[in-house]
Amino acid sequence: MSFLEALDEADAQEQLYALGCTDGLPVIIPTEARVARMVLASGLDGNLVLGAMGPAGGAASVEALATAAVMAGCPPELMPVLCAVAEAVLDPAFDLTEMQATTHCTAPLILLSGPVVEALGFASGFGALGPGHRANATLGRALRLAMINIGGGRPGESDMALLGHPGKFTYCLAEAAEASPFPSLGVSLGFDPEDSVVTVIGAEAPQSLIFSATGDLTQDRDGLLSILAAGLAGPASNNAVLTGGQAVLVLNPDHAALLAAAGLDRRALQAELQTRCEVPGALPSQGSFQREGRRQAFRAPEDILVLVAGGSGLYSMAMPSWCAGPHQNRAVSRRVDLNPACEVPF
Amino acid sequence: MRDGIAVAKQGLPAVALVTTLFEPQGRFVAKASGMSAIPQVLLPHPVAGSGAEAMATLAAALAPRLWETLQGRGRDGSA
Repeated sequence: MSFLEALDEADAQEQLYALGCTDGLPVIIPTEARVARMVLASGLDGNLVLGAMGPAGGAASVEALATAAVMAGCPPELMPVLCAVAEAVLDPAFDLTEMQATTHCTAPLILLSGPVVEALGFASGFGALGPGHRANATLGRALRLAMINIGGGRPGESDMALLGHPGKFTYCLAEAAEASPFPSLGVSLGFDPEDSVVTVIGAEAPQSLIFSATGDLTQDRDGLLSILAAGLAGPASNNAVLTGGQAVLVLNPDHAALLAAAGLDRRALQAELQTRCEVPGALPSQGSFQREGRRQAFRAPEDILVLVAGGSGLYSMAMPSWCAGPHQNRAVSRRVDLNPACEVPF
Repeated sequence: MRDGIAVAKQGLPAVALVTTLFEPQGRFVAKASGMSAIPQVLLPHPVAGSGAEAMATLAAALAPRLWETLQGRGRDGSA
């Protein structure tokens, strides 16, 4: 570990900002004692390296992640979750190196499901993607700070996003299991119901999808499905133009209940949406990506990740994805160990 | 840049084509990959979306320089 010398915390803030180590907002100064405490909370050796983070290829050690967690303001109990998130984004299938460098606006969206949501206070209801939720805000921010300081992703130098989007500050959402008619997202991905699971996907900013029901279930089912499909693979989305990627659909509890009442479980819903996300032979946005023939935006139903979150009302959300990179930026999930061996002294 | 590095790491002659606006990023990636000296040829920016005809014209203009660079001559030239 290397150290900076500063007159005081204000001076340290200025130095960290000048060095490009922050996201532009003030950070908690990662003093040796604060980082050591965060390492302890991980239950892991600080020197343990989880992988090389691109494009700089920096060693994603537990200590380096702990530094990012301190800077982001994470409560120590989030460290095991951050380690699981880091393992997920470092999986080669996630294409993090290429994702950090792309001109697309993509940002890693962290989805949480299982006991971790309630245990650590992740927000899943009204305004869950907005401000005021410490666990969501700091976990996503810690990942971004790790991507900056370990992975070397800096705007205009190595991160070539033309604009980016606000989710590049923090982008983290928990599943509202109690409001969902479906088994948990983790279970749908092959984990056990008692598992706490993090899933990462390179996502665009959320697109709001309004749908107001009429009370005619047959008509509403069809209408809602058509709206959701339009949001998942609109003609200007990478999902429609590049095809073969994945996307996230966040149903509000009312829309989820409507679809469940219409007889759709998650798998049937995914299949319906995959069928409806059909791309015509040519799109105005395709340019040099022009291809012949009608085709599906998604190769398989499970490429549409479906979860329930948010408040009751008219709006659901779609997060289209980047869809590029050697593995088309696949979503990756990891189980979280919520019981690390060490207790953190206060 | 990464494609060029991947080819070069297989021991094959390689040259990375980088547009002018992406030159700093190319340098960053080359350095991070431990291959700062990988031959590069700079292209005007943007190339993507310029159309097949413009791309063919550029390719024809670049071919001699690419050939020279692959032979170890004329590195880091701009198109």
